[in-house]
Amino acid sequence: MTMYTRRLTKNRIWLGLSMGAAAFGLLWLVLILGTLIWNGVAGLDVTVFTRMTPPPGGTGGLLNPIIGSLIMTVLAILIGTPVGVLAGTYMAEYGRYARLTFIVRFINDILLSAPSIIVGLFIYEIIVVPMGHFSGFAGAIALAVIVIPVVVRTTEDMLLLVPNTMREAAAALGSPRSFLIQRVIYRAARAGIITGILLAVARISGETAPLLFTALNNQFWNVNLNAPMPSLPVVIFQFALSPYEDWQRLAWTGALIITVAVLSLSILARALTAKGVER
Amino acid sequence: MNALTVRATQDMPNTREKVAIRDLSFFYGENKALHNIDLTAYERQVSALIGPSGCGKSTLLRVLNRIYALYPNQRAEGEVWLDGENILDNSQDVNLLRAKVGMVFQKPTPFPMSIYENIAFGVRLYENLNRSEMDERVERALTRAALWDEVKDRLGTSALGLSGGQQQRLCIARTIAVKPEVILLDEPTSALDPISTAKVEQLIDELKRDFTIVIVTHNMQQAARVADRTAFFYLGKLIEEGPTSQMFSNPKDRRTLDYITGRFG
Amino acid sequence: MAILTLETATFQERSTSLKRFIVKDAVFKNLTFAAALLVLSILFGVFLSLIIGAWPAFQTFGLEFLTSQSWNPVTEKFGALAPIYGTIVTSLIAMGIAVPVGIGIAIFITELCPPSLRKPIAIAIELLAGIPSIIYGIWGLFVFAPFLQSHVQPAIISLFSGVPFLNDLFAGPPYGIGMFTAGLILAIMVIPFISSISRDVFETTPSVLKESTYALGATTWEVIWNVVLPYSRAGVLGGVMLGLGRALGETMAVTFVIGNAHKIAASIMAPGTTISATIANEFTEAVGDLYTSALIALGFILFVITFIVLAIARYMLSRLEVKTR
Repeated sequence: MTMYTRRLTKNRIWLGLSMGAAAFGLLWLVLILGTLIWNGVAGLDVTVFTRMTPPPGGTGGLLNPIIGSLIMTVLAILIGTPVGVLAGTYMAEYGRYARLTFIVRFINDILLSAPSIIVGLFIYEIIVVPMGHFSGFAGAIALAVIVIPVVVRTTEDMLLLVPNTMREAAAALGSPRSFLIQRVIYRAARAGIITGILLAVARISGETAPLLFTALNNQFWNVNLNAPMPSLPVVIFQFALSPYEDWQRLAWTGALIITVAVLSLSILARALTAKGVER
Repeated sequence: MNALTVRATQDMPNTREKVAIRDLSFFYGENKALHNIDLTAYERQVSALIGPSGCGKSTLLRVLNRIYALYPNQRAEGEVWLDGENILDNSQDVNLLRAKVGMVFQKPTPFPMSIYENIAFGVRLYENLNRSEMDERVERALTRAALWDEVKDRLGTSALGLSGGQQQRLCIARTIAVKPEVILLDEPTSALDPISTAKVEQLIDELKRDFTIVIVTHNMQQAARVADRTAFFYLGKLIEEGPTSQMFSNPKDRRTLDYITGRFG
Repeated sequence: MAILTLETATFQERSTSLKRFIVKDAVFKNLTFAAALLVLSILFGVFLSLIIGAWPAFQTFGLEFLTSQSWNPVTEKFGALAPIYGTIVTSLIAMGIAVPVGIGIAIFITELCPPSLRKPIAIAIELLAGIPSIIYGIWGLFVFAPFLQSHVQPAIISLFSGVPFLNDLFAGPPYGIGMFTAGLILAIMVIPFISSISRDVFETTPSVLKESTYALGATTWEVIWNVVLPYSRAGVLGGVMLGLGRALGETMAVTFVIGNAHKIAASIMAPGTTISATIANEFTEAVGDLYTSALIALGFILFVITFIVLAIARYMLSRLEVKTR
C-alpha cells in the first residue's frame, strides 16, 4: 500500500507541475496583453491615425508609418502569394511524386523558420546595394520572401486535402490539367489558401528585422517606393529606444495597433480553417 | 465506318461492338492487377462487371477512359478499341477520349460550385454556347438525369447542399451534358440509400437507349436488374462472360456459381 | 425527351476546342515548376549573397574571426566570439525554461484539461506564438527588465553570493537588461512553439496503447512517462529543435533587452550581445566595407547554425509524419 501511495503522490506532483506550466504559459499572455492595452490605450486617439510622426519631443501620430506598412504589406502579398500558390500547386499537383517536391518541401520548411534578419541581409545584398539606396521596394521584397514559404506550406497542405476523386471527376469530363486545377481544385481549397495568406499577412505585419536595412525608415510622408519608407515596427523600435517620453508613448500605441491587427488576423484565419476544404 | 463495326455476335444479333478489350493487362508498379483480359461491350447495352473486391473490375473500368494515367506507376498493356481506334495508343488525346467516354464514380463528386456550373463546367470545355443555349443544355441534362424537377428553383445554389442521391444524379447529368457515347459507372449506388438506388437504376435503364454503359457493381441483384451482359472477374482474371440471364441461371464456371450463390466475396 | 447524342458535336469541333488549352496547360505547368524552383533558389541566393558579402571579413580575419572577442570599429578589428557566445547562452537559458514548461503545457492540454477548456487554452497559447517579436521587445524593455532589476535579480544575486562558481555566474550589479533577461524573454517566445508541436505529437499516440497501460493499473503520470513520451520522442525533439532555431535567430525581442555589449562576461546577469542583435543595432550605422562585411559574416554564421538546427528539426518531424500516416 505504501508503494501505491507513493505512486499516487508522484502522479499528483507531476500533474500539478504540468498544470502549473499551463498557468505559467497563460500568465505571460495575460501580462503582455494587459500592459500593452494599459500603456497603448492611453495614447490612442484620432491624431495617431491622422498626424505624422513628430520630431523629438514634439507631438504627432503614426500616419506615415501606418501607410508605409500598409503599402509594403500589400505589395509583399501581391508578389509573394502568386509565387507561393504556384509553388504549392507544383508540389501538390504536377510534382506530387517528384523528387524535386521532396527537396522543395524540406527547403521551404527551413525558410519558414529561418531568422528574418537574414532575409534583411539577403535583400540588402541583392537589391539595396545594386540600387545604391534603401527603398520601400526593397522592404516589400524582403517581406515577400517571408510570405512565400508561409503560402507554399498552406497551399500544399490544403491542395493535398482535396480528395483525389475530385481530380478524377474533373479529368473524367475531359478537363485539361490546368483548367481542372484552376476551376475545381483551387475552388475546393479556397478557404484554406486564404487562411494561408491571412497568416502570412499576420506574420509580416509585425516583422521588424527584415525592414531595418531594406526600407530603413523615414520621418516624412512618403509613398514613393523608390525611397526609404517608414513602417510601424521600425518606428516602434526607434521610438521605444529613444529618451523622449512622447515617442515612447507613441511606440506603445503602435505596438497595441500591431498586436490587435495580428491577433485579429490569426483569429480570422482560425475561423476560416475551421471550414477547411470543401468536399 | 471502320474495321470493327457491325460484327454480329452469336448471342446478340445486330449489335455493334462499341468497346473491344483485347489482351489487356494492367500494372500497379510491379503488381499485375489484370491478366490478359478479352471483353467486348456492345453499343446501347449495359455491361456489368462483377466480382469480389480486389478482383480488378474497377481497374478495368479505369482503363476505358484512361483515368489511371493521372498516376505514375500505373500502366496498361494490350489494346482497347473504341470505334476502331486503340485508345491505349500514345497518340490518343486523353481529354478527347474522356469527352467520348464519361465516368461516374462510387462516391458522388459534385464540384464546389453551383448546380448550374457543375453541368456547364464540362460543356464549356468543348462548346462555345451562349447563355440561352447553355441554359437549355443544363435543363436537358438535368431532365435526362431525372433531377430537373427537384432542383430547377435552386440552380444557383451550391451543389454540395444536395442529398447524396441527388448529387449522384447530378454527376450523371454532368456526364451526359458533355454528350459522351460511352458511360462508365463505378459502383454508382454503393453510397446511396435504397430509394436513391432505385432511381439511379431506373435512370440507367433509360440511358441505355442512347449510350453504351459499362457498370461495375458489387451487388449481384443490381447486375441482374440492369445489365444485358455480365462479366465475372476473380483475382485479376476474367472468369466468365455472357448474357446476364445465362450468367445467373446457368454459369459455366464453378467459381462464378460460388460467387453468385454467395459462397464467397 | 430530346436525345442528346443525336446532335453530338463532331470530333473535329471538340479537338479544335481543346487546342485552346494546349498552350495554357504548358504555360501553367511551367509556371508552377518555375515557382517551385524559385523557392529553392531563394535558399541558395541567401547562402550565396551572404558568402559574397562576408568574404572580405573572412579573408581579412580568417579563422580568428570565430575565436576573437574584439569588436572594434575604429581599428577595424572584428571577432565574432562575443555575439556567438551570447547567442548560445541566451538560447540555452531559453530552452532550459521553455522545454519543461512547453512539454508540461502540452501534457496538461492533452491529458488533464477538461475537454471544454482544451480548445480555448490551446488557442490562447498559440496566440502567444503569433505576437510579433517587437512586442516582446518593448514589453521586455519597459516592463519586464525593470521588474527583474528591482525584484528578482537582487534576490538571485544575494542568494548565490556565498556559493562558489554560482556567485560568478550570478554576479551583480542588477542591470535589469542583459543575457539573463534576454534568455527569459526568449523562453516566453519559444514556449508556445514547443507546446503546440508537442501537443500535436502527443495526440498521435494510439489510444489503444494508453488504454492498455491504464488497464494495468497505471497512473496518469505513469502512462505519460512510459507510453506517451517514449512514443512521441522524435516529434517532441523536432519541436524543441524548431524552438531552438527560433531562439537562436530571434532579433527584435533580444535587441531591446540584451544591452549590446561586445564582451564575454562571467555573469549571465551582465549585458552582452547576440549575433542578430549586433546586426540589428549596428548594420545601418556601419561605416566602411570591412565593418559591413564583418556583420554579414555574423549573419552567415547565424544562418549556418540555424540551418543545421532546423534541418535536424525537420528531419525529426518528417519521420513522425511517416509514422502517423
